[in-house]
Amino acid sequence: MENHVSYALHILEEPVQYLALAFMALMYIIKISQMLKKPIPPEKAELKGDRVAGAFDSLLNVLKPWSMESTRNNPYFYIEFLIFHIGVALTIGATFFIPLFPSLMTLTVSKIFMIFMGLAFLIGLRRIYRRLTVPEIRIISSPDDFFAITLMTVFFAVGFGAMSLWIKGSPDTGWMWIFFLMTTFFLLYVPFSKISHYVLYPFGRINFGRIFGGRGVLNKNVKAPSWNPK
Amino acid sequence: MSEQGDKLGAEGARKWPTKPEFTPEMLEEMEKLLPAKLNRVVAASLSGCIHCGMCSDACHYSVSIPEDKTLVPAYKADRFRKWYKSRYDWLGQIFPSFVGAHKLDKELADDMYDKLWGACTMCRRCTFNCPMGVDYGMLVRAARGIMQQVGRVPQHLQDTVDTHHNSGNNMAVPRDEFIETMEWIEEELQDEEGCENFKIPVDKKGAQYFLTLNPREPKYYPLTIQASAKVLNAAGVDFTISSRYWDLTNYALFNGYDPDAKEFSMWQVEDVKRLGCEYLLAGECGHGYRSLRWELPNWVGGVPFKITSMMELLAKLVQQHRLKLAKSVWKGHRFTYHDSCNIARSGGIMEEPRIIINAATDDFVEMEHNRENSYCCGGGGGALAMPEFTPRRIAAGKIKADEIKATGADIVLQSCHNCTDQLKEIIEHYHIKAKVMNLAELLAPALII
Repeated sequence: MENHVSYALHILEEPVQYLALAFMALMYIIKISQMLKKPIPPEKAELKGDRVAGAFDSLLNVLKPWSMESTRNNPYFYIEFLIFHIGVALTIGATFFIPLFPSLMTLTVSKIFMIFMGLAFLIGLRRIYRRLTVPEIRIISSPDDFFAITLMTVFFAVGFGAMSLWIKGSPDTGWMWIFFLMTTFFLLYVPFSKISHYVLYPFGRINFGRIFGGRGVLNKNVKAPSWNPK
Repeated sequence: MSEQGDKLGAEGARKWPTKPEFTPEMLEEMEKLLPAKLNRVVAASLSGCIHCGMCSDACHYSVSIPEDKTLVPAYKADRFRKWYKSRYDWLGQIFPSFVGAHKLDKELADDMYDKLWGACTMCRRCTFNCPMGVDYGMLVRAARGIMQQVGRVPQHLQDTVDTHHNSGNNMAVPRDEFIETMEWIEEELQDEEGCENFKIPVDKKGAQYFLTLNPREPKYYPLTIQASAKVLNAAGVDFTISSRYWDLTNYALFNGYDPDAKEFSMWQVEDVKRLGCEYLLAGECGHGYRSLRWELPNWVGGVPFKITSMMELLAKLVQQHRLKLAKSVWKGHRFTYHDSCNIARSGGIMEEPRIIINAATDDFVEMEHNRENSYCCGGGGGALAMPEFTPRRIAAGKIKADEIKATGADIVLQSCHNCTDQLKEIIEHYHIKAKVMNLAELLAPALII
């Protein structure tokens, strides 16, 4: 695909994005360094399992829906989660591929991107509905929770619209402007929002894996290295 | 700590100054205490919740009392998280209501008190079902520790800790009374057929195992000590019970006050060293096991001996054929086993109890949720020491009662004294015809001596 756009849109697609991306990276570096400064609780007990294997096991938890009862019993919810997050990755990816590597965005690739954007949009709508109507979800929801899911859902829709015009040979459209303006906003806003949870994910999972891996609760197939009472 | 005299516990008697309600001065003090509680696990747990609601089916409170949506784990943890966000979340400091942040005020603190003392047993079942790995147990303990330090702690729970601090055990059993009780139990044991030479050695130096007890045992359940001693004698285990720091409980695990947790642990460490034992052996007690096995080495900075539990030791004895058992003793009975949260989920002991049970009976039925997936019975987290929350505790035990009922078992086995008391209460409350026993009580009558 070609990406012949106006100079103004080019500015938005590249230098503005780079600046916003640099800002986001800076915020994440601060966020991560703040977390790394917190002391790790010591572990001086004789281990029954492997803390490192536990951490890996726990990090990969996202790919193992059978490992938690909450996902094991809700496969539909897990599939939604998976598609939604693939949609997130591809939609954000599109904002880089379109200006930087338009040749990679063949018609087939673009359609795959659009399928995930469309599905993620529908899942986003369902998630908004769920947050509004399920009492135990509504009671824990903050405005940021609603704003984040709404923003993502609109982002998918705009991305879908922009790409559907783009594959028809219209790269410089109102949809594309909104798409890139939203991307810029995202890059600036996400570090302050719950959407940045993926930065915290490794911390939570590694903490969990180290504790319960060491105690032999996780990755039970790893033989206890040192514990064998006489 | 007094070294060898009769006085056990700390030198000066203490009565922790508890407060009936939060005052502005207490809230101010809590603000000062918060930063020190934020280790990486607690901070990540406070920052990481995405309000997905996956924890709502994981909690025995929210499952047993579905009409009260404020019992969902994320909601309960948010009572603490709101305060944290008001101080540490970037957006929370500028637009607090947008991210659900809230300055610590009396209303929020009261809510924290209600939900984090009275509606969470720190069982970590939600932690195991959280996609983000939020450690609710650690988070709640941090919040409790802050509230406790300013005096807002359930009175009876704090009394239990104070008693331990002042007396060296949490039921203030005097040393001479304890020795007499052990002698009496030993006599009772020796009256049993084939047990004439069985001993309950007190303060035996150089014994391999330093057996610890829950104070409920010498006080209310001496037969469990008798059963444990019978099994250990039958297997030829070289053990002793200290006349000093034999109490394995540590309720500072529940009230979150680390200096006491460390102090109680240190007494026990010194006592094991005094007797020169190879193993510190945790009796059948859930939080006691976890406190000794997994927390004590961290509180005191490592120990020069090994720490194990009755569950692990008994399983080993069964596997080594050191116990001869007659399953016929239990013919006509059906058993199920309740996994204590601190033993299974937080302790890693899941197969050992089953090895023991299957050696003594042919009719064992698992509950629907077992091992690390077991629901808390409702008696964890110090809940039994908070009578002000008793109706909620009993209501929260419904899911466990339902699962027991579904097994058709007439004997519920477990390895924890808090679980024992809670299971007995819910069995009575929900009209289940079953008896509650620990694993030594299962083995002792089946022994072929």
